This record gives sequence, structure tokens and C-alpha cells, in this order.
Amino acid sequence: MGEFNMQTYQNLINEHSPVTTENLFVLVGKIQDAFGYMPAKAVHDLAVKTGVAEARIYGALTSYKDFKLRMEDKG
Amino acid sequence: MKERKVLTRRVGKYEPLDLKAYEASGGLEGLRRALALNPEEVVEQIKLSGLTGRGGAAFPTGLKWGSAAQEKETPKYFICNADEGELGTFKDKVLLDGDPWAVLEGIVIGAYAIGAQLAYIYVKGEYEETVNLWEKLAAEAQKAKLLGTDVLGSKFSLQLQVVRGRGLYIAGEEFALISSLETRRAMSRLKPPYPSQRGLFGKPTVVNNVETIANVPVILAKGAEEYRKLGTKDDPGTRLFSLSGDVKEAGVYEVELGSGTLRELIDEFGKGTTGGRHIKAVQPGGGTSALLAGDSLDCRLTTEAIRKAGSSIGTAGVIVYEQGKSAVDIVKGLMDFYGFESCGRCAPCRIGVVRMKEIVERLSHGKGRTEDLEQLRRIGKACVVASTCGMGQAFPLPVLSALEVFGGDFEAAIAKVSV
Repeated sequence: MGEFNMQTYQNLINEHSPVTTENLFVLVGKIQDAFGYMPAKAVHDLAVKTGVAEARIYGALTSYKDFKLRMEDKG
Repeated sequence: MKERKVLTRRVGKYEPLDLKAYEASGGLEGLRRALALNPEEVVEQIKLSGLTGRGGAAFPTGLKWGSAAQEKETPKYFICNADEGELGTFKDKVLLDGDPWAVLEGIVIGAYAIGAQLAYIYVKGEYEETVNLWEKLAAEAQKAKLLGTDVLGSKFSLQLQVVRGRGLYIAGEEFALISSLETRRAMSRLKPPYPSQRGLFGKPTVVNNVETIANVPVILAKGAEEYRKLGTKDDPGTRLFSLSGDVKEAGVYEVELGSGTLRELIDEFGKGTTGGRHIKAVQPGGGTSALLAGDSLDCRLTTEAIRKAGSSIGTAGVIVYEQGKSAVDIVKGLMDFYGFESCGRCAPCRIGVVRMKEIVERLSHGKGRTEDLEQLRRIGKACVVASTCGMGQAFPLPVLSALEVFGGDFEAAIAKVSV
């Protein structure tokens, strides 16, 4: 959990390679679990990799209770 | 009335990741038999067994599989729906944690029968440990050749994706689940086309509940005829009843269908109500099933008998309410939940659930109006008729049944109004 880290992100991508529409939802969940939120960079990258519109990924993310688009306040 | 452990016979008897122990207790027999048959013969066995869906809608599993198997379009997908979100239902977790290999075996058989090469298990987000367990299980299965290329030396290949749900009730509805896996908002769709024709990514897809899938290896190992000896003629097999609410011993109890009555289930397994009072109402099939009054619980535990009594067996999540609660408060709790969870795809549910919630809230706060009861009836009936998915068609049922059975509580709530 914490700041976006390219290395962690890349590892997740490698684990789930090739990234397709078939495993996109799994991967998005893994990224959320790893960082505690969905970094915009990751969404953009996934959109490029899968050909799914960025807007559609955001559409999905914002509808689920468990996805966050920003890091939560540590309080 | 006795428990009849068929699906739960191994629960807690082996370490969840221990495949050898599973095999030693008769596991994988069903899969071996299935792989020796043609996919069509496997579907035929399921059809003969009379197995129906355990997730609430009770659709014949064999028909679903047969329809997907016939489709020429490829690839096909097999989905295990473990997003058990219905109120008062927690049976799937028992199988997922206690006998995961049996569920996995069922998934492999199902995928083989319809010709799917990719299967998903969509686990409720709150079941975090279960998700972790299943990720390890999938890796173990890969090593043991239960997944991957050439499953158990056959020509059949299968991959399994373990997916964690993200906290939406509606994602348990089959089309909403499919939308979710497509990385879209979890929303239902109009049927037809059914998922078995055009489901995930527009391809033939079968979505089955965990308990349904857990029945599959049993059917294959025993043979459909032998399996039909369990339960009744129209309702073969067992059901896992999740008993909760105002009972002393809540829990999951596996019972042969038709072997006893609803009252026996509550009295003998639940050991009476927490407050020692009489039972006021029971929901026999989860939060969206109609309320049965405390004096109409002597129906046998079959789909048909419970329907005749005025409710439905649904997910077999039996919720008990004892005397002392007003029916208005009971339905208020339910409407709070469903009001939050409606996906908004179709107007009757999106608008209706909120209006009904407002009215029930008003009643429970002593601000009821005389026209409220008629309004509740009208909106409820409209939702039942016009909603797209099972949730919209079912959430008004507790309210409509409460109005019928406990009309007095509602009248009293209106009479209490302080001007």
C-alpha cells in the first residue's frame, strides 16, 4: 500500500502477461490492492495495452465501492 | 429431522490445500468419469440428474449447459458465481473454504462439458481469505494437472482466473457479473439473448452458483440415477440452508430436500428463538423472498411446497424474526439495503426501490399517510412486472407479503401518526 511504484506495477503486469480484456478486471483489482488506490498512470497504461477506452475503465472503477481513485488520507 | 451431508461431507476433514487427502476421500472420481465420457454425455448426465441452480432462480443446470454446449461460437467461458451477496445467505463460503477441491472439480467438469477453455471464479470481495486460498489452490491445481494443458492426461485444456469481487451486491446477478468481468459497471441486461448464447465478451457463457457446481462431481461419481435417490422426485438432491436471524444456533445445515418442514428446520437446528418468543415471520429464501407468517411454517422443504406456502426457496437463506418486532421495521431494514444496491439499469427498480424505501421509512418514523399502503402495493407490483433482473423483480416481495400477512402492523404505524 502507498505511493505508486513503477517496479511493483511492472511486476504485476508481468505476472498477468499478456494483459487482455479477459484478465483486465483481475489486474485492476490487484493494482488497487497493491497501492490502495488506482493510479491514473496505471489506468492510462492499461487502456493502451488492452485497447479498452480509458473512459470505460473509469466508468467501471467509479461504480464499485472498493475502488479508490486517490490515496486515502492517512489521518 | 436429520442433516444429510453430501456436499458438506468433507468440510473440515482435510487441510484445504491438501489434494492427496481430497483424493483419498473419493475426490476426483467424478472428474475422471467425466473425462472418459463425451462432453454431450456429461451434459446428459446433468440433465438426467434434475439438478437445478442453487443461487436463487432454480434454473435447470442441464438445460443451461446444453444450450451453451450447442453454440458454435468460440471461445466459451465457464463462470463459478461465488459472489454470494444475498442477505442471510452464507452457504457458499462453507464449501469454498471447507471443500474447495470439490468446487474446483465441478468447475473443470462444467468447462469440459460446454467446451470452455477459460473459467472464472468470482469471489465476494469481503471473503478475502477465501480469495487468497483459491489463488493458492489454482496454482496447486496447475501443478497437479487439474488445470492447464491436457487435464489429467486428456486432450482438454483449461485455465482458471480467480477474481475478487469489489463490494457490489448486484454483481451476483449473472449478467451483472459478466459485465463486471468485462471491466464495466456491474449492471444487468435484458434477456434474451441468454448468457449461454451471448454472455461474456459476447460469447457463450455458463454462470453457475458454487453449490450447484459442488453437486456436479457427486452426480458424475454416483451416476444421475443414484443421485436422484436423494431428495424428492421433482426436487432431487440436498440443499444447504443458511439459518440466521433470531435463532439460538445460526449456521449452515445440509438437508435432503423434502425431508422435513421449515418449522422443524428452525426448531431442531436453530434450537428456538433467541428471546424465547414465538416466531413472527420467516424469509425462507434470502432477503428478497416473501415473508411467511409464524403459523404457516409447516410446509415441506421443497421448491414447490414453499412456493405454495406463499414464498420461495431462493438461496435457502432462512431468516427468522421473532415476535416483538413490527413488520414495518423488518421491511425497512431490507429496503435500506436494496435501496443502496439497485444498479440503476432499469427505471422500475431504480426509482421504485427508493420510493418504497422512503415510504417505509416514513411509516416507521410515525409519519405515515393513509395512501401509503396503496402506493407501496402499486409500486411494488410495477417493479415485479417491469424490472430487468431478478433483484428488481424480487425486492418488493417482502413488502408485498408483509402488507398481506401483517397488514395490522402497517395500519398501526399509520394510526400512530402525530399531527
